[in-house]
Amino acid sequence: MAAPPLEVQDLRTTLFTRRGEMKAVDGLSLSVGAGETVALVGESGCGKSLSALSIMRLLPDPPARIVGGAVKLNGRDVIALPEDGMLDIRGREIGMIFQDPMSSLNPVATVEKQIVEVLMTHTELGRGQARARAHELLELVGMPDAARRLDAYPHQLSGGMCQRVVIAMAIACSPSVLIADEPTTALDVTVQAQVLALLKKLQADSGMAMIFITHDLGVVAETADRVVVMYAGRKVEEATVDDLFEAPLHPYTAGLIGATPTPGAERAARLADIPGMVPPLNALPQGCAFAPRCPRAMERCRTERPTLTAPAPGCLVACFAAEAG
Amino acid sequence: MRRFEFLGRFSRNRGALVGACLILVVALMAVLASVFFPTDPLRIVGQPELWPGEDPEFPLGTDSLGRDILAMIVHGARATLLIGLFASAVATLIGVGVGATAGYFGGWIDEIAMRAAELFQTIPNLIFVLTIVVILGSTLTNIVIAIGIVSWTPIARMTRAEFLSLRDREFVQACRSMGMGDFKIIVAEILPNALPPVIVLSSLVVAGAILFESAVSFLGLGDPNVASWGRLVGDGRQLIRSSWYICAIPGVAIMITVLCLNLVGDGLNDALNPKLRDR
Repeated sequence: MAAPPLEVQDLRTTLFTRRGEMKAVDGLSLSVGAGETVALVGESGCGKSLSALSIMRLLPDPPARIVGGAVKLNGRDVIALPEDGMLDIRGREIGMIFQDPMSSLNPVATVEKQIVEVLMTHTELGRGQARARAHELLELVGMPDAARRLDAYPHQLSGGMCQRVVIAMAIACSPSVLIADEPTTALDVTVQAQVLALLKKLQADSGMAMIFITHDLGVVAETADRVVVMYAGRKVEEATVDDLFEAPLHPYTAGLIGATPTPGAERAARLADIPGMVPPLNALPQGCAFAPRCPRAMERCRTERPTLTAPAPGCLVACFAAEAG
Repeated sequence: MRRFEFLGRFSRNRGALVGACLILVVALMAVLASVFFPTDPLRIVGQPELWPGEDPEFPLGTDSLGRDILAMIVHGARATLLIGLFASAVATLIGVGVGATAGYFGGWIDEIAMRAAELFQTIPNLIFVLTIVVILGSTLTNIVIAIGIVSWTPIARMTRAEFLSLRDREFVQACRSMGMGDFKIIVAEILPNALPPVIVLSSLVVAGAILFESAVSFLGLGDPNVASWGRLVGDGRQLIRSSWYICAIPGVAIMITVLCLNLVGDGLNDALNPKLRDR
């Protein structure tokens, strides 16, 4: 079997700040197969976005630096690559979509120019061919009235249309891996659904591997095949999407699911919330990082850090309570 | 459509419109100088020290040697404007280059670039220009370079500030994620966003450059082969108590041009600077 398009092994990213070193990503491993979608889930500050930026090698350095691990893109470790080599890979083998489509586009350039720039960075296309391809790409991402939108500036487009342009740019060179960092958070719910459907369709056509970063479990249920739950820079649970929603193993996952409103549930019932906040990375508790907020915390959780174990094939969890059953 | 908007906003500023028209007249004078006065303006053509209006053949009079002041003003417009434009181009090139590099890369590159800029700023500008001209020699090119070297610092600071605020914007991150190199991002992505205030500043540097050149020429350090307006003022200096018009006419020309350039800069600021738009 061929190597999966993206394989992350024991990735460690540390923030070197004046208040000390903070392990923002601490030993993250995951792999995404061709045509597969893995959702990366967690509260704000759990290290989801930094994980994505680490994979892209786009960390703001200083303060953030990758201190260990491997990121294998189509079998090749990119952590050790020089920056020049990385330039060639970004956009061609791995693409990324950012949270706010409006600000992801250059405000003073037309849609056409921006797509053409990307194409000309990575391909040998001439300007005329690149223009034609830009038009094709816009049609591919379902831009209404694509020919006319080529000459539009970002401020003349709606959020949903901007995100379509961003997606067109990200897939312009048919990358084998696409990282979507909360691609629908800034959009209307109706547009969200369209964009998710578009991404699914593009993935089905091209077989690219997708990492979907989100804190919206509704989006997860709709798009992901597998889910990786992160807490304080570590992976605490990994499971297929069905298993995760049916029987979450980690109390944190259960808390997240419990905190999501479900239609039809009794109005009067208050949403369950997870008490407290994500601890600051420089003041992590000694044991399990989630222990102070955990309803099932035991004595052992406060002193010893749980490691990932596999209670069943295809799923992983780092929790003593889950182990105990 | 955008261009139209820009013109509309520019012309809403009356002063800028007047300034632009006058600059256009000066520029026409510069371009058509040889058409109006085909002979060498530095040739002696009449009686010396004729006051303006005294002889209809020389509407602005003649200088101490009997040269036609009107001809010299018209030809001087060419030299003066060229010096202003080229000096501003030199300053903008250095300033944008240094400022963009410093702002984009930050860190020690930024430190070095900004300390260098401060070093330049501590030296009084005019004395610096004079020093460079004296060392390199009084040719037109050297004067242009000297003024450019003195005038780049504000442009560098402005460009740096713009780059600092733009480099962390999401679209720059997006460009990186698509594999664009630093050079391409700086030139093709950030620079167009950073340019409007820089253009305004450059237009003001043109005005400043004209003043510098006039001062240099007035002190007798200008290019002896070029009849710029500053040189005319300088030539008339000895007679300032009797035939003051010899100094005053080119002086007024300089004043009007510089004033107009400032008005145009102001208008450009209104038209280009989004922060002041629609106020």
